[in-house]
Amino acid sequence: MQAIPSEERAAQEELQPIHHEPKSFFFKYLWSLDHKMIGRQFLWAGLGFLLVGGLLAMMIRWQWAFPGKPVPVLGSIFLRSQGGAIGPATYMTIFTMHGLIMIFFAITPVLIGAFGNFLLPLQIGARDMAFPWLNALSFWTFALSLVFVILSLFGELGAAGAGWTTYPPLSTNVGTPGSGQTWMVAAVFVTGVSTIMGGINYVTTVIRHRAPGMTWMRLPLATWGLWLTAILNVLFVPVLGSAALLLLLDRLFGTQFFIAGATASVSGGGDPILFQHLFWIFGHPEVYILILPAWGIVSDLLSFFSRKPANWYRGTVYAMIAVSVLSAMVYGHHMFLTGFTPLLGQSFMLLTLIISVPAELLFLNWLRTVWQGSIRLTTPMLFSLGMLFVFGMGGLTGLYLGATATDIYLHDTMFVVGHFHLTMAAASFVASLAAIYFWFPKMFGRRMNETLGKVHFWITLVCLVTVFSGQLLAGYSGQSRRLYDPYQYTFLKHLLGVNRVASYAAFLLLFAQFIFIYNFIRSLIAGEKAESNPWQVSTLEWFTASPPPYHNYDRIPTVLRGPHEFADPEVRRRLGRDFIGQAEELPEAMPPAVASAG
Amino acid sequence: MIGAEAMSVIRYRPRGAREQATAWIGMVIFLGSWAMMFAALFFSYGMLRARLPVWPPPGTPPLPRLLPGINTLIIGLSSVAMQRGLSAARRAQAAAVLPAIAAGFLLGLAFLSLQFVLWTGLWRAGLRPEGGAYPSVFYGLTAIHAIHVAVGLGGLGWLLTRAFFHAFGPARNLGLRLWTGYWHFVGAVWLLMYLTVFLI
Amino acid sequence: MTLLLAPLPEKGIGLPHDASLHGWRIDALINETSVYVGLLFVIMVAWVVLACLRHGPRHEARFDHGTSTRSVAVGLCIAGAIFFVVDGPLFVNSLILARDVFGNFAKVEADPKSVRIEITAHQWAWVARYAGPDGKFNTPDDIVTFNDVVVPEGTPILFQLVSTDVIHSFNIPNMRAKIDAVPGMVNRVWFEAKETGEFDIACAQHCGLNHYKMKATLTVLPRPDWEKWAAEASANSARDYDPDDREAHWGWDWSEHARI
Repeated sequence: MQAIPSEERAAQEELQPIHHEPKSFFFKYLWSLDHKMIGRQFLWAGLGFLLVGGLLAMMIRWQWAFPGKPVPVLGSIFLRSQGGAIGPATYMTIFTMHGLIMIFFAITPVLIGAFGNFLLPLQIGARDMAFPWLNALSFWTFALSLVFVILSLFGELGAAGAGWTTYPPLSTNVGTPGSGQTWMVAAVFVTGVSTIMGGINYVTTVIRHRAPGMTWMRLPLATWGLWLTAILNVLFVPVLGSAALLLLLDRLFGTQFFIAGATASVSGGGDPILFQHLFWIFGHPEVYILILPAWGIVSDLLSFFSRKPANWYRGTVYAMIAVSVLSAMVYGHHMFLTGFTPLLGQSFMLLTLIISVPAELLFLNWLRTVWQGSIRLTTPMLFSLGMLFVFGMGGLTGLYLGATATDIYLHDTMFVVGHFHLTMAAASFVASLAAIYFWFPKMFGRRMNETLGKVHFWITLVCLVTVFSGQLLAGYSGQSRRLYDPYQYTFLKHLLGVNRVASYAAFLLLFAQFIFIYNFIRSLIAGEKAESNPWQVSTLEWFTASPPPYHNYDRIPTVLRGPHEFADPEVRRRLGRDFIGQAEELPEAMPPAVASAG
Repeated sequence: MIGAEAMSVIRYRPRGAREQATAWIGMVIFLGSWAMMFAALFFSYGMLRARLPVWPPPGTPPLPRLLPGINTLIIGLSSVAMQRGLSAARRAQAAAVLPAIAAGFLLGLAFLSLQFVLWTGLWRAGLRPEGGAYPSVFYGLTAIHAIHVAVGLGGLGWLLTRAFFHAFGPARNLGLRLWTGYWHFVGAVWLLMYLTVFLI
Repeated sequence: MTLLLAPLPEKGIGLPHDASLHGWRIDALINETSVYVGLLFVIMVAWVVLACLRHGPRHEARFDHGTSTRSVAVGLCIAGAIFFVVDGPLFVNSLILARDVFGNFAKVEADPKSVRIEITAHQWAWVARYAGPDGKFNTPDDIVTFNDVVVPEGTPILFQLVSTDVIHSFNIPNMRAKIDAVPGMVNRVWFEAKETGEFDIACAQHCGLNHYKMKATLTVLPRPDWEKWAAEASANSARDYDPDDREAHWGWDWSEHARI
């Protein structure tokens, strides 16, 4: 705990100038350079599209519960030409857009765009991101991709319908002609560019703008999660970009990168499997991109609300790094049934099973963090524990899919869908909610209602588990993915019951979110005002005002310790409480007044 | 007022050494991203080529080696020119900066023009994208590369106008440094493309 | 979780009826893994619930960073143990099954009784071709069926598959067989039926508008009945053979893709 010389501190502060605070509406709300505002912009966009993606999911669930029946409300608005019911063509668009929207336009902007932007500079003690201009540009590039998404819905031959995985040749002009699919592929490309811009910013900011004393091993785990995510984004989104680019060339300029079979040129067509390689070299890291921030956030919150240091901090960091490093090496398990050489299958299986080890370590650390703690079941804590539940379930189901033998039966069934919904959708969604409830006071200066939060939690968790267990069971019983009418098949006819129960749970899940929306909006307008550190925790952002001033910190803090210093008996003696901030000075001796109060 | 604010945001701001180093790190990461994108393209080329027993497939017009070879030289010289410009700025030789950037720019323009000649020649000889994997790889890779050259030319053009209005100097050359780094990257990618697509 | 559900064939939740000779190996692996997975999950939930009950707000938190050598070692050992006990059998068994059973094409190719079928998948039907008595594909005595695969019981059935347009996936749940049909490639799969009956063949890869009804039927007949069917069908084919119908002559040379 060396004191940083004052000249160096002054120099640090000089080197952390802040762009001028904007006065005009345009520079304050539209082209803002402030990471906190940009974070909020991503949050509104992400939450909006989360609702859209959710409604699309409801339509899928409706079709499986009541095949061919007109959809209430949504049917009369969007499906008038089909009498309010979903037909096979619309169904393809619905599941395609559901996947693409949820991954690229809901979870990514909320966890990475919103929380990444909002938290990273604050948690490392900086005034803003390394490249504020690039930051603003990344949001507006994202907004442009949303325009492309909307344009894709109006193609003459229909919107995108090749699944979110966009496998050729189905996604080429052979399988899905028309501008709808083309605009959607372009939208994915543009949002990828936005993500890369953000990634460059996040990676550089954490490397360069950490406050004095903020060593790598004192970073909050949320920062680690977001930083590793940014590295993965920077490395692997470009691979998706190249896949999208080559697919656009196939669609627009007649090239044959991915076209084989009857429509290929006689001199030798392309290779549809090439796309799968490119897509999954991106796609598998992408699932870790979506979960690493959640892992980091939950690691911190479990410690905060157990009032106890995170168990083996370094182990968690190493585990997250190991997962990041391995993430691109396991991608072939998505391609076990494409007919590639058995040696590849064995290698990918081995690596896939190995990547479960760091994840197990994370779990063990979480479990040991809460044990012997002083657990406060606040709403953020409930959601964090909920994340353990759903990710535990989902992660364990991944084992069956990583082994080639068991994957033969389970590949392309609803079991896979249940697996990734639990690990990707439920876990990220629950972690996002934990993050929103937790940082709401810091972002908006007000408290959310705890009781409504808890009600929201319980209904959401029970419904999520029910819906996705339903998917697991349906897949275990053999139901394939992406079927407009599963009951066409003799071996699936009896699954109407399971699917209906899951659908009812899904509808309840949707309605439960209105509790959250009501709580959120009401708290924004009339919530109880929040002080700087309402949760009584230790990371830097809680030692400035709620919400923080434009320049974040009046003085750049000097960090003295790690982010999870809870339950320290020395701190209790000298400060009279069970936590101490990362940059807080610990008084040398106890002041006499406190001694008598005990 | 929006105008004044816009000006304060856009106007050139001198950057200290630390901020310059940060910008350079950002640039390196950006180039890492772009390297991954091109790596994926080369991977695609490799995979498509490995599948076909004969490459080029029988009946396809052969790719020339001389013209793209000359282009490799041109873009190499262009990189040299830009690097010279950067060194001149660092050593406060203001007069040498503008001609160097201009040379880099013109050579880059020449590169694009010759690429255009290459494409039209092969197009007339019957090589079309619909012809299969081979022409797709040729046109696809060179076109994507050319787009990146065009973006680089935009940057070089902007540097050129800046060089007209105020000299780059030892403490004021961040933009020059960043665009030169990008330009070298684009040249290196071309070298790799020349070797793998045209020569072997 | 899956322990509690009896695998009632197509009535309750559970694996579909297994009519194949080797499918039980996959089922056994799934069920064994489920025991461990279930146990781990129950332990985890119980741990969290106990922690919430016993170490709640009134409990004093322990100031422990979990960095002691013992603590770290315990964590690593548990993770390692889970890896070897749960992942291990999955890995080893998958390797063995791939080499000796599901990927053992050499053995079934060598079996003189095995039946060979070429399948073309296209939007949205499965077309099957049998070599007929001459043992060669794309000859007048070939049997070609639409959405109808007829095979004998107790015999290895070998498939080579292509697709003409988009990626499909040949899926016979009751035989625990599944493989993609990719344009530009010839993939293969095999199984042996241990009972007679009719079973569903489904497409398991999204292939467009009618993916959901790209259905075919697998009919398993006793060997003598099948041979009778084959002889009759072959004779009909030979009689109705039209040399000018180029599109119908899509068969390929089997041995080129037998890859032994």
